[in-house]
Amino acid sequence: MHTDTNTHDTALIFEVKGNSLDDGPGIRTVVFFKGCPLDCVWCHNPESKSGRTELSFEKDACIMCDACQHICTAHALDRNNPYYIDRETCTLCMKCVEECPSGALSAVGRYWTIDELVAEVEKDIPFFRTSGGGVTLSGGEPTRSMNFITSFLKEVSSSKIHTLIETCGLFDLQHFLDSVYPWLNAIYFDIKLFDEDEHRHYCGTSNRSILENFAQLSERCRKDGVELLPRIPLVPGITATEDNLRSIAGFLKRLGMHEIELLAYNPLWFDKCWKIGEKSSCENTMAMRQWMPAGQIEQCKVIFEGFDIR
Amino acid sequence: MDKNNIANIATHLLLQTMAFHFNWFPRFRRYLRSDDGWINFSLGMRTETDTVEQCITFENGHVEVKGNIPEDVDVEMIFQDNAVLKSMTELPPNEVLNLILKNKLTLRGNLAYAQVFNFFISLFMKGKQIKMMRRQAARGTQEDCTAIPAGPAEKASPKKIQPLKAEKFDPGVRYLKDDPYLAAYRLEDFPRLNKFLDIHFNQMPAICHERPMLLTQWYRKNGFETDSSGNPWVAELRQAQAFKYLMENRKPIIRKDDLIAGTTSTKEIGVVLYPDTHGTMIWGELFTTPYRQLFPYDITSETIEILHHSVFPFWINRNMREWVRSNYDAPLCQSLDERFAVYFLWKTAALSHTILDYPKLLKVGAKGIIREIRKELKNDKQADQLKKDTLQAMILTYEGLIAYAKNLSKQAKAEAELESDRGRKAELTKLSEICARVPEHPSRTLDEALNAIWIHWVGVHMENTNAGFSLGRMDQWLQPYFAADMRKLKTRAEKKRYIKHAIELVGCFYMRCTDHLPLIPDIGNYLFGGSSSDQAITLGGVTPDGDDAVNDMTYIFLKVTEMLSIRDPNVNARYNKEKNSETYLKRLCEVNKNTTATPSIHNDVAVMASLEEFNYPDEHLRDWAATGCVEPTLSGKHLGHTNCMMFNMVAALEMAMYNGHHPLMRWDVGPRTGDIDNGSFKTFDDFFDAFCTQLEFLMDNSCEYNKLLGEAHSIIRPTPFISGLISGTTDKGRDVTKAGALHNSSGTACIGLADITDSLMVIKKLVYDEKKVSMAEMKRAVKTNFEHDSALSAMVRNKVPLFGSGNAEAVEMANRVIKFVHDRFKDHVNFRGGRYTAGFWSMSNHVAFGTLTGALPSGRRAGKPFTPGLTPEAHASKNLLDNIRDVSRLEQSNMNNNIAFNVKVVPSAKESHKKAVENIYSYAKTYCDLGGMQMQFNVVSSQTLRDAMAHPENYKNLMVRISGYNAYFTTLNRDMQLELIERAEYGL
Repeated sequence: MHTDTNTHDTALIFEVKGNSLDDGPGIRTVVFFKGCPLDCVWCHNPESKSGRTELSFEKDACIMCDACQHICTAHALDRNNPYYIDRETCTLCMKCVEECPSGALSAVGRYWTIDELVAEVEKDIPFFRTSGGGVTLSGGEPTRSMNFITSFLKEVSSSKIHTLIETCGLFDLQHFLDSVYPWLNAIYFDIKLFDEDEHRHYCGTSNRSILENFAQLSERCRKDGVELLPRIPLVPGITATEDNLRSIAGFLKRLGMHEIELLAYNPLWFDKCWKIGEKSSCENTMAMRQWMPAGQIEQCKVIFEGFDIR
Repeated sequence: MDKNNIANIATHLLLQTMAFHFNWFPRFRRYLRSDDGWINFSLGMRTETDTVEQCITFENGHVEVKGNIPEDVDVEMIFQDNAVLKSMTELPPNEVLNLILKNKLTLRGNLAYAQVFNFFISLFMKGKQIKMMRRQAARGTQEDCTAIPAGPAEKASPKKIQPLKAEKFDPGVRYLKDDPYLAAYRLEDFPRLNKFLDIHFNQMPAICHERPMLLTQWYRKNGFETDSSGNPWVAELRQAQAFKYLMENRKPIIRKDDLIAGTTSTKEIGVVLYPDTHGTMIWGELFTTPYRQLFPYDITSETIEILHHSVFPFWINRNMREWVRSNYDAPLCQSLDERFAVYFLWKTAALSHTILDYPKLLKVGAKGIIREIRKELKNDKQADQLKKDTLQAMILTYEGLIAYAKNLSKQAKAEAELESDRGRKAELTKLSEICARVPEHPSRTLDEALNAIWIHWVGVHMENTNAGFSLGRMDQWLQPYFAADMRKLKTRAEKKRYIKHAIELVGCFYMRCTDHLPLIPDIGNYLFGGSSSDQAITLGGVTPDGDDAVNDMTYIFLKVTEMLSIRDPNVNARYNKEKNSETYLKRLCEVNKNTTATPSIHNDVAVMASLEEFNYPDEHLRDWAATGCVEPTLSGKHLGHTNCMMFNMVAALEMAMYNGHHPLMRWDVGPRTGDIDNGSFKTFDDFFDAFCTQLEFLMDNSCEYNKLLGEAHSIIRPTPFISGLISGTTDKGRDVTKAGALHNSSGTACIGLADITDSLMVIKKLVYDEKKVSMAEMKRAVKTNFEHDSALSAMVRNKVPLFGSGNAEAVEMANRVIKFVHDRFKDHVNFRGGRYTAGFWSMSNHVAFGTLTGALPSGRRAGKPFTPGLTPEAHASKNLLDNIRDVSRLEQSNMNNNIAFNVKVVPSAKESHKKAVENIYSYAKTYCDLGGMQMQFNVVSSQTLRDAMAHPENYKNLMVRISGYNAYFTTLNRDMQLELIERAEYGL
């Protein structure tokens, strides 16, 4: 687990994506923070796990000009290496990224100041206004940079745009309630595995505090009128099992929650693992290599409908 | 050069064989005869390398072949070299056209004679040619389309689309109180329209000889330059009398089951011919048009005989091109046009982009128009002879219109008498009454109004080429008649029935509009792929007084547009953010999603602001409507010829790189602006200046040609009929071709803005700012199509901010180019004394000009299409919003002939219909808020398009928006199809 912390003024962000229609209401800009306290085996954004800048290599974009090899002082680049970069040797000096004409070598993650981020997000305010959209904080895990995002949210509050956070739920609840929470319109909260042992096995840590946080938040949000939406990433054979879904459904029903979002599995993350040199620790089964068929998604929906949850 | 080589000898022998057959076999010889005497001409064939020189002469029925080409040869075919000459014998006719486009074969002289020659070749070779074309068609359908991996689960269960319901009511909507969106009606409720749609998608269009035959017969009898007594004709009177004759004598046809009477030809779907402009360009293809891959035309042998013997020969020297060629000694500006790579002047085919004063026709009828003209004749004692003649000509044409309507009335009555079905009998009887009444008298009902407009519209196309005449603000003009009808009804049931009838009637009108197609010689399929007549209808906006114009008819038109989902009429929508409602805009977005491509959306306030420099009166300006593709015309008062030229700005960039030399044309035609290899262009501005100088050179020439063609139109084809329905002509006593209209201008379409801006950015950044590469290296890379410069190519693509990426400098660069083009055009005046406007849309010429242009500094490879209109390059940004913001930052006042900004969006399977529409709405509304001028959507995925390429039979009605107009995807040529697939795709 990585424990880098960020100062008030900058944060390590690996993507700021505009025109997103899938991360909250309306048209949104999504900010992806680098670094996550969990280590889920199916992670769709494996480059978001590490709290440090990384070097990515996209084989298909490479034009074989070898400019990178000429400039690398650590001799970390070798065509015989299936990952091309020897990440033990690489010093992350990023000179090769500067030299690379095609962008096949790229840096994942750079430090943004609050002002920079505000400027980038505010570019699209006209679109937020028309569509009821705004900014979504995601990643990685945005709550690892609570001070930063609190200051950021304060800065954009005068623009009155919709603010949303996507979180894995593993954070200091009090700190969250004191700093970030007052500035949020919505929280999308991931619940992955209900069984604590399974959670430890597949996600790297216990889920007790996650479930605890959720339970407390559900009450708070109901009182304050903040939207709290639980989300489950459906992973074949791991989270998308009858047992797991029923357990979660029961948990939600006990808290009086009536809505949930199911995230269909998509297999594109395999290629991402290659690009950042991570061996996917997931089993390379057929089910993992394909888009989740609609029928399976339907079945999962049905389970929740049985609990009166849409 | 030694002429005793195989190529020259072979050519001589082939020509001799042809001569022999003509001289000795009556069945070939008879084709040398026409109703105007023998077809006499000489045609030279030679190579640029001087290896071949032959001349074949047709004189009074005798054919001879000689080994030298005289000075006064009528037409020359010049081949780049022997190889090209040889390939001509092996290629089907349409591939020969490709040789012409690529400038491997150039034609000099009277192109009609080249067409005759092609026709003669076809006489001998048609069997072989047809076989070649059939083989090509078979090969074409097996073309490989890259398979793409299956995407996220789509259409798990066939999703039921829940149509939207209107949330509020616009003030102008008085009668559609249940639901202006008319969601309850579906195509299944209108079997009549279904039948017409079936015909539309399955009937092959056919060449019709009625119009050209009747007219040519009249001209032959009564004279063209001089009348039967030998006195020079006043062209207006000649045209008017010929028109009247045509209208009186053409067949009055009522399509089976139609509610609107009259047709533009005798065929179900007719290709109408205009031999005084470009009609003769199909001559060489007469035997083979049914077999060509794109837009085949059916043709009977009777038609072939009539056209060859009795029509086309009359017009060989009587058309716009030849008039300019002989009167102005084959000027340079014309030669440039005939090499296809730098500009295309539409006046060679048409002067059609205008909108007539239909409210006047509906209000006073043809009779009223005649009465007004007579009054003017009587009152104006100072009228000069030309005014008297012009006004008299106008009267004659409206008499012709009345005669045609009367014939239709008689026809309807006769059919009613024979009709056994009671329902249809009643319809025909009613139609007979309608045609007896309109368009002669004022209209009183919606049925009368729509018939009046259509019958007049037929007349318009009998006088003028069917290329972009536009119907204007039909929702505004028809509303009073709709309201009048409604007011007479008492019960709810009656009103409901009537609304359904109104929808059906407008549907019939739309389907009437599909009864004709413009003549496109196969070469045109590469230049204007998929285009129909582009009869633009414009909805919404504000009234001349500035009030919200959205009304019941607006929604009825939108419903019909959505239900029928056809490419023509080309529906445009004015959205005025100050006066029009969200309800209306949402509906526009919903229709876009359902039809996948229409209507295009115009920011009303921005379009009107762009025309500020002309100081038009406010009431005229507010009455603007789109002509053809997107361009604004002031309805009923303005001859804007808004598509006078398709202008390839990129040619100027190439010429600047090669010191005035145009690579494809292999011609040092431009001014010497600096040699890169000799170190000219010390700074970026030096290069930019060179680019501007080349642009200026091309603009000067294109305007020159436009002016000469304008003169040609005023002599060969004045248009008294449409002059009768455009304000200004009666007062001035002048035909619109002679500046009779109240407002006059010429509009241009400037193509390649994004490619140019990106190229200039690359040069500025990499060559001058960062000094990563020299101009000479850039030139070499471009010249060799980046074959040895993969690093440079990658850098260019990844390290330079492009137009549409959200970069302010790139926007500034684009604005710099736009300003220059606008300002330079402003300095020119057209033949009618009007000014030029600068538009940034492209029809489909971005593909054609792209295939004729080499690689560019932007990284674009040789032969690839430019971006459509001024749409940013697909890879400029992953974020659609960057595109939208950048386009909205372009200076409105310099884009006064509108723009085309294409956006492809893909509705996600998991999004509801409502959400998808809301997303489109957000883009459109914000774009207008930011000041963007025009936007058009393609709501379809690349996957669907790829599937349509592989299985066209399943996608006959898949509609896409090109750059300003709609086309059926499966009728496009392959380059165009691929271009559409590659356009940036933004998941909704």
